[in-house]
Amino acid sequence: MPTSRQAQSPIRKRCKILKFTMSTMKLNMQDKKDLDKFTKFLALKAAQIIVQSRSGEKVNTKCKPNSSGTDWFNLAIQDLPDVLSEAKRALCGEIVSSTIPLCIEISLRTVEGDTMVLETWSLGVLPEHSDPTIRVTYTVYNRMGILLKSLLSVTRITPAYKLSRRQGPESYVICYRIYMGEPQLHTLGDNYKHVRVGQLCTPVGTIHLSVSYRTKMTISPTQTGRDSIMLKSDHFHSDLSPRHARYQQSDNHTKSLSDTIKVGAFAVNKQVVVNEGDLVIPDVPFSSLLIPRQTSPPPASTVEAADATTPVTTDNNNGNNEKVPTDSPMPKCNSQNGSRRSSCSMTSANDDFIMVDLKTPFAGTNTNSDLGAFYRECQTAPQLQAFMEERTLAEQIGDLTKQLETFETNMHHYEDMLLSLCQTENNN
Amino acid sequence: MNARTQLFELSMEGRQVDEAVASIFHSVLFHRSLGKFKYKQEGSYSVGTVGYQDVDCDFIDFTYVCCSSIHLDQTLKREISGFSEALRSTDSPGSGQISLEFFQKKKNRWPFQPECIPWEVWTVRLELIKLATEHERQICREKVGDLLTDKILYITEVMNRHDYLPKMPNQAELDLIFDTSYPDIQPYLFKLSFTTSGPSGSTMGNTMKKLIKETLSI
Repeated sequence: MPTSRQAQSPIRKRCKILKFTMSTMKLNMQDKKDLDKFTKFLALKAAQIIVQSRSGEKVNTKCKPNSSGTDWFNLAIQDLPDVLSEAKRALCGEIVSSTIPLCIEISLRTVEGDTMVLETWSLGVLPEHSDPTIRVTYTVYNRMGILLKSLLSVTRITPAYKLSRRQGPESYVICYRIYMGEPQLHTLGDNYKHVRVGQLCTPVGTIHLSVSYRTKMTISPTQTGRDSIMLKSDHFHSDLSPRHARYQQSDNHTKSLSDTIKVGAFAVNKQVVVNEGDLVIPDVPFSSLLIPRQTSPPPASTVEAADATTPVTTDNNNGNNEKVPTDSPMPKCNSQNGSRRSSCSMTSANDDFIMVDLKTPFAGTNTNSDLGAFYRECQTAPQLQAFMEERTLAEQIGDLTKQLETFETNMHHYEDMLLSLCQTENNN
Repeated sequence: MNARTQLFELSMEGRQVDEAVASIFHSVLFHRSLGKFKYKQEGSYSVGTVGYQDVDCDFIDFTYVCCSSIHLDQTLKREISGFSEALRSTDSPGSGQISLEFFQKKKNRWPFQPECIPWEVWTVRLELIKLATEHERQICREKVGDLLTDKILYITEVMNRHDYLPKMPNQAELDLIFDTSYPDIQPYLFKLSFTTSGPSGSTMGNTMKKLIKETLSI
């Protein structure tokens, strides 16, 4: 419909206004027909723009000084036959001017067959706000063109665009679905965003075009254990949060140093308690540390089991959050096992570890504090007394002279011993 | 008449300037360009079709849509690279602004030039930043991309408000509203201008250059 009529004569226009103020329903038959046709093509072309923008290809259409019959809204939008038939099937001969919107859903499907809805575009009409005076053949038609231009611009800036450009048969593909009905927004996850592309007034209502898109780009961990696609997002499932993985990282660096402490604190702490039950740890620090070193590192299953039944460990995690270096690369999303391991490795904390007094949900308060105290003792071996207080040189020398004096006073003991040794030698 | 003015303030690395400005101005011009008018007889004309293309940025994580008109792109590139060079030159204060101004002409009595009345002005004010590491650059790539996303959304919002646009002219007055010099599209009359501001101020040479340029572009 590239031809536009020139301005109507003022008289005719006034008549039209009068007609519409009398009754908005008495829309000129020709105008009504035109409007329906325009709206239908607006829907069909919007579907083409949205689907083509998710094909992964860059679009490039040529300007044409002489437009052809298929060039609606003076925009060179190509018609993909599949999309056209899908859109027509969804419209089912109806036009969008009914209050039910037309939706185009864009989703991502991985090679494993997991799907995730990325965004839902919806084109609808609000009958409440209408402008009976507006000119259908000229103003509405042109504004529909502007709306489609805005749609072209906005389709390139939602997160799904970048994803669609990176799609491939070995990772994931982008799919579309066209339907009539209220947009199904619950499929977009929490905190989805809603963006209005644009709207325009017509004699029968306001046509509006908008998109709601997903902001959490992680496929639920219950569906897949692997991270098969590179998804860029700062929003993670709490179990897969980078902060947990950071512990894992630090684990790698400090493993050799921390083995002893780690083992002592969690996995074989029972052994320690049973074997060395009467050991007073602060007084004899080295023996308590030596015991776990002799035992081999516990198998992973033990670690997990111990961890799973000990709420403290998970709570420790939280208490320790802020202490972790924040600058670490984005982790691969691991399964829950990963986070479990990481919560264990957390105990490999360095000497600046601070035990936060925590309320554990399932443990009694007394036992909790006992365990906490025990843990603290294990965590930091007490200092040698020799290093506890800095002694001055004079003091140290004074000690030496004292020692020498005692040696001298005991001189006769040594001589006696020597003599006795000599005698036994003689006996031989 | 007061022109609508829109101001975007951004800070970025020097090498991102051309693409950032182009993405904003191209998006605006895409909305403000029609197909070529072809008059059949008085009161009736046909409108050509506007083609479009995706443009990927090299230094920003961003893709935008613009008219697939080489000539329009050349006009924009020329002016934007002039701005970019001035902004990035060694004696530049490191900040400046470039404007895309839409105007309509009003005929004056001979021998005076027609009067230009602006009706919409889009200004991008830029501040250059220096980044030390590749990691910082990567963050900046994404950050500027996110900022441009917001700008594009704002542009589409403004375009769909359907505020004032010059009235469709008749054939004789087409040149007073539209730039008919392009063979493939017909944008509303527009011009680009820039200044680099700062403590040093603009040099005499630059001012003269700008004056001459403005005179010629009218």
